[in-house]
Amino acid sequence: MAVGTLKAQTDWRAAQRRHHRNQFLGKVLLTLASLAVVSIFVFPIFYWFRLSITPYRYVFSLPPRLDFPEVTTAWWRVILGQASYQDTMREQTGTALAAGVGGGGTLGYAMIQPIANSLFYGLSSTAIVIFVATLAAYALSRFNPRGKQNLVFFIISTRFMPAAAVVLPLSWLYQQLGLTSTYLGVMMAHVVINLPLATLLLKSFFDDIPTDLDEAAMVDGCTRFGAFWRIVIRYVAPGIAAAAVLCMIFSWNEFILTLYLSRLPEMQTVPIRMQSYDTSAGPTEWGLLSAAGTAALIPVFLFILSVQRYLIRGLTLGAVRG
Amino acid sequence: MARPSIALTPLSAQAEVTTKRRRSFFSANNPWLWVAPAVIILALYSIFPLIFNILVSFQNFRASTKAWEWVGFRNYEWMLFGNPLVGNFGNAIVVTAVYTIIALFAQLALGLFIALLLDDRPWFSGLMQTFMILPMVTAPVIAGLIFRLLQHSEFGVISWLLYGIGALTKEEPLLGGTGQYALIALLMVEIWQWTPFFVLIILAGLKGLPHEIIEASQVDGANWFQRLTRIKIPMLFGVITVGVLFRLIELYKTFDYVMVLTSGGPGDRTTTLSFYQYTVTFQNIRWGYGAAIGVFIMVVGWLSAFAYTKIFRVKW
Repeated sequence: MAVGTLKAQTDWRAAQRRHHRNQFLGKVLLTLASLAVVSIFVFPIFYWFRLSITPYRYVFSLPPRLDFPEVTTAWWRVILGQASYQDTMREQTGTALAAGVGGGGTLGYAMIQPIANSLFYGLSSTAIVIFVATLAAYALSRFNPRGKQNLVFFIISTRFMPAAAVVLPLSWLYQQLGLTSTYLGVMMAHVVINLPLATLLLKSFFDDIPTDLDEAAMVDGCTRFGAFWRIVIRYVAPGIAAAAVLCMIFSWNEFILTLYLSRLPEMQTVPIRMQSYDTSAGPTEWGLLSAAGTAALIPVFLFILSVQRYLIRGLTLGAVRG
Repeated sequence: MARPSIALTPLSAQAEVTTKRRRSFFSANNPWLWVAPAVIILALYSIFPLIFNILVSFQNFRASTKAWEWVGFRNYEWMLFGNPLVGNFGNAIVVTAVYTIIALFAQLALGLFIALLLDDRPWFSGLMQTFMILPMVTAPVIAGLIFRLLQHSEFGVISWLLYGIGALTKEEPLLGGTGQYALIALLMVEIWQWTPFFVLIILAGLKGLPHEIIEASQVDGANWFQRLTRIKIPMLFGVITVGVLFRLIELYKTFDYVMVLTSGGPGDRTTTLSFYQYTVTFQNIRWGYGAAIGVFIMVVGWLSAFAYTKIFRVKW
């Protein structure tokens, strides 16, 4: 009897070990498959970053190399305005360039100004968006006026609008208002792009807070605005922060409206400047391009980590809570 | 006046009703006051352009004399029956439709696949999820530039791979040549950048599924495939419809990649609707015709999005 129990026990243990081993193998396979897929998606960014710190002679070896045979800061120094474009190109490629020649055109590759512009548009438009959107979101969450669904759909629908179709009317309007190629004009365009996103995202955050809170505050003597400003807004503060970061990112990436509402080179944002570079000249300038692109990506990547949790909620205007 | 019920209402209550009514508009209880700033700004940038486009679409702007002339429905006839300019409206619609359909299905299928992988909790699944975000938050212009490099006919990595497996020849590269593969080149960026959107949205949906139901189905002997097609996908229907709506909107207005990668060419092989409208307006300076296309894009976009949200009951 005792022997039988022992045998059953060992059998059971062996089965369990087999089970664990199979589970372990499954996990290894699953991890490998996931890693393979994810690395395909990360590869373009990795390759781009690698290019920005690789000297010219290693840049275009085929088959492509993924290691770092030698690291250089030459491209980055040009981007940050620490070194001259002509000198760096001579040093790296051995070709001398006259001023104003090459893919950088007359503007060169110093990115400080476009980055400053992008930051300015992003910060100022986000401030306005958050102010206007918080008010609207609170009302959409707390009140139930007639036609609310239509109002919500109107706000969403402004996001469906192809920017290309509004560029001409807006150019005309800006001409009449004297806003053409002004910082104010571009900033307002960025406000419009982010307003639907921020309003509906914030509405979803307000919806998460029970209305009892407002009612309790109003019973205790707060006005409606007091309940909003002193009490409820404190509870959605993390949501407001997330909305602000997402607005910054979309403003940072905005392209077509900015392109047509600001014709002056000194008002260009990072994407506009990047697009203006001519790459038909050949392989010589990709180091600079990739350094400029990486410089534009790094702040976005750092920022997105802080709001990763809310990204899907933001991209679906609050429809998917995630 | 003779009705007693009115006379019976206490005077104080009547007074309260009238004062409430009188100050109602500028009270914090009026929702329209709260939403007014947002609605005014949005109307200025959406309803105004629509009205402007409608008015301009019946006119013709002569760049030489800077004069406007009334042309009736001519611009709309150009849209329907062809026009004297480069490229045509029908082609733009076909290109946009092909692009949209292929991109949508590829992103959805790949997104579902990757989300299911990551949902089975491989090691580092959190880290991998974070990395999947990176393509999505890359500026479309920069994504276009990255792929212009990767698809370069001489030293691009993707081109090199495709040459290597014999899928492509140097005479007919991804970008350039006769443009046979130009749309595929665009689709690669599109799929790379926006598959992660479906990954994240489906992962969010999978996380929200009730465990009891999946476990119950396991106990009842449903295999992996049955669990996927009979339980998980139907229960993900809600998030998938929202995801598809947002991708459809963006795909319908595709512009940035076209601008950066192909400029609509070679010929008009990659001229999407948005890009066609842009070339007509800003390169041919046919403002009237461009506005007519703008009206079409806006109205069709709005109507289809409205219909979609009604049919699939997308709620905010």
